[in-house]
Amino acid sequence: MRSLFALMLAGYALGAAAAVLRPGGRGGRGLVAAGAVLGGAAGLALALQVLLTGTPFVLEAPAVLSIADGLLFRIDRLGALFLGLVGFLAVPCGLYGAAYSEGYEGRASLRLLGALLNLFLLTMSLVPCAGNVLTFLFMWEGMSLTSYFLVLTETDEPETVLAGGWYLAMTHAGLALALAAFLLMATSSASTTFGDLRAAAPALSPSARNAVFLLALLGFGSKAGIMPLHVWLPRAHPAAPSHVSALMSGVMIKMGVYGLLRVGLDLLGGGPTWWGALLIGLGALSAVIGVLYALMEHDLKRLLAYHSVENIGIIFIGIGAGLMFQSFGLPALATLGMVAGLYHTINHACFKGLLFLGAGSVAHALGTRNMEEMGGLIKRMPRTALFFLVGACAISALPPLNGFASEWLVFQALLGGSAIPQPEVAVVMPLAVAMLALASGLAAACFVKAFGITFLAIPRSARAEQAHEAPRSMQAGMAMLAIACVALGLLPFAVAPILGSTLAGLGRVTPAAIELTRSLPLQVPGASGQMSPPLLALGLVVLLALLPLGLRLLGAERRGRVGDTWGCGRIGQTPRMEYTATAFAEPLRRVFAELYRPTRDLSIDFHPASKYFVQSIAYRSEIHPWIERLLYNWPLRGIRRAAVWVRRLQAGSLHLYLFYLTLAFLVLLTMARWWR
Amino acid sequence: MRLFSKILQVGLATEPLPPTSHEVVRLLHEVDDRARRLFGRALAIREVDAGSCNGCELEITGLTSPVYDSERFGVHFVASPRHADLLLVTGPVTRNMAVPLVKTYEATPAPKLVVAVGDCSRTCGVFKGGYGVAGSVDQFVPVDAFVDGCPPEPAAILRGILAAVGRR
Repeated sequence: MRSLFALMLAGYALGAAAAVLRPGGRGGRGLVAAGAVLGGAAGLALALQVLLTGTPFVLEAPAVLSIADGLLFRIDRLGALFLGLVGFLAVPCGLYGAAYSEGYEGRASLRLLGALLNLFLLTMSLVPCAGNVLTFLFMWEGMSLTSYFLVLTETDEPETVLAGGWYLAMTHAGLALALAAFLLMATSSASTTFGDLRAAAPALSPSARNAVFLLALLGFGSKAGIMPLHVWLPRAHPAAPSHVSALMSGVMIKMGVYGLLRVGLDLLGGGPTWWGALLIGLGALSAVIGVLYALMEHDLKRLLAYHSVENIGIIFIGIGAGLMFQSFGLPALATLGMVAGLYHTINHACFKGLLFLGAGSVAHALGTRNMEEMGGLIKRMPRTALFFLVGACAISALPPLNGFASEWLVFQALLGGSAIPQPEVAVVMPLAVAMLALASGLAAACFVKAFGITFLAIPRSARAEQAHEAPRSMQAGMAMLAIACVALGLLPFAVAPILGSTLAGLGRVTPAAIELTRSLPLQVPGASGQMSPPLLALGLVVLLALLPLGLRLLGAERRGRVGDTWGCGRIGQTPRMEYTATAFAEPLRRVFAELYRPTRDLSIDFHPASKYFVQSIAYRSEIHPWIERLLYNWPLRGIRRAAVWVRRLQAGSLHLYLFYLTLAFLVLLTMARWWR
Repeated sequence: MRLFSKILQVGLATEPLPPTSHEVVRLLHEVDDRARRLFGRALAIREVDAGSCNGCELEITGLTSPVYDSERFGVHFVASPRHADLLLVTGPVTRNMAVPLVKTYEATPAPKLVVAVGDCSRTCGVFKGGYGVAGSVDQFVPVDAFVDGCPPEPAAILRGILAAVGRR
């Protein structure tokens, strides 16, 4: 294990060093990718070893950072799951990045991109390995900062800098809250290792426990992108290079989930019912509103970013249901909810990584992310289209792909809520089921739009007409994730027990409940439904085989007739007659007008002689994200006012700063004198 | 409440139906029977106005009116040639409609029938020689049956449809 850990560190370090020493060029990009792939593979192997054997890996290095107990790594099964997730996505994203970063040659600093990518992967891998608060926060901050600079790769676009600002502000606010949560816990603990915090947690007063949970929820929720804290996601994800977006959306936001599980379930051991109810409520809100905003997007990567908000919502619903059942002493259902949440975490990493890589290939080929300029790409980029379709089907939860398997488990967990004879639960659970159902349906609609407008019909622009298939290494990255999507959909009975075993010893999960996860995908305790993914897949294959056979028997014509798309008999069809992304979403824009509050601006330019001859029509419609403005406008105003005031202190005079230093020193001395 | 009082005050405003012609009912039954034998289901019609004066359209609309109500026999009009078994073409074919007519014919799934309705569709009628007229319907698409009349009455149109369905 120790050698695998060293190999992981060495791989990422090699990639980073290669980027610094030899940036750019085919070989340089290859070396950066090789480092990421090696580190990722080693991380995955280490994680699998911990997951399968169950022996935690411990590494102490108190000398490296001698304050606050030094560095301590302890990989238990929960940490290993998330470490494995990073490694699992690092391999395809590293491969993909080798060819993708060619587009930045001469445009952005490849030295910075390559080095930061590897450092980002390294620090992100070490977040779930952390065994004490210092290591955790150190790695967490490393992950946040490196990803911030990665978001800033395309600095030549003005929006990027703004996106980076939002991201940095949100992630640091989150860090401050998480730090506060840890400090609150550490007040009664002997040291800041997670083991001591866990031991000291029962001694905390209920109000302190609630405060810790809320601080952790806000702090880690801002990283995860849960509903009111999601504002940075749709800004930062599209701005980053696509393989970085895939990593950020696929695994980095999952570190928020990890942090919440670590604090809420592991260290605090679960809590009162309203913790779970709060998670379910926030999750349901994120799921529905996230997908509703995604529907209105024409920027392919922004659309995917809003879907991350939706899927994080689904994960939170699963985990919230788990916490809720735990508080009622129903370990079997609690395990089901948690496993569903964790399963969706893995699945979302797969299909969202795949979709971001696919969107990146499209953006790479076209030089734009605007869906209204795409179309007809299935003919020009058939493989990318196939991979994107697999991802789109998975995220829409179509069987037999992985999204279906985990969403089915989430539904089963929620429906199991009828086992609790409590009126408030009887209200929350069906509502959550309804919201989740609405979100899944809308997600399917959204991906009909995303795939249809992007890949089908006639190209809408010259750029789309001249698009070319992605290079081999990018295809390889997507292919790996597409295969994973299918495999995770077909083999939940192999995955569920592993996920169940990660919960062993956390909170009040009992061994008997974990034993249940062995039969989970086929039979859920207390639920009426059964699902067997392999049978489903077999059924689909048989159906697809039987359909042509049946048609043949009915005497259908064997050969098809190829003709034009029916365009009401128009002579010559142009892209202007096609359904646009805006038009596709228009019905929903009307239904949910209260949420979107769209502004419409229609200006028609008539011929001067007669108004029956229209020269041009311009239609503009924007949606008004009022929830975001309601929540963020007043703090932003306050911060701006405070910043103006604070600026007076920053006069730029060296003498003044020396004076500040002396003053601070004196104040500290006085405090030290009088404090005791 | 005002709505209800209005309803009570006005009473029945519709005219009583004229006695149904047994001829039409018999025709519709026969069309339905033949169509079912030919297509395995009810008859779906797409109407194409290739440049008519809309006199024929008035009569065709009459087919779906309460008096004839062809839908009750499964003879219905559809919104796309992709759904249609039979094209009902009216008028002389104008230059603007020549290509769309051919495209509509091509878009209709086989087996398909074409019934040309009205004198103009066969002879171009009074529009013959007009600068915008390209020719009669059978110069552009194969016609299974012509319906004469200017305009033909619904029963005649039904007879034409029956003739077309009966030819196969």
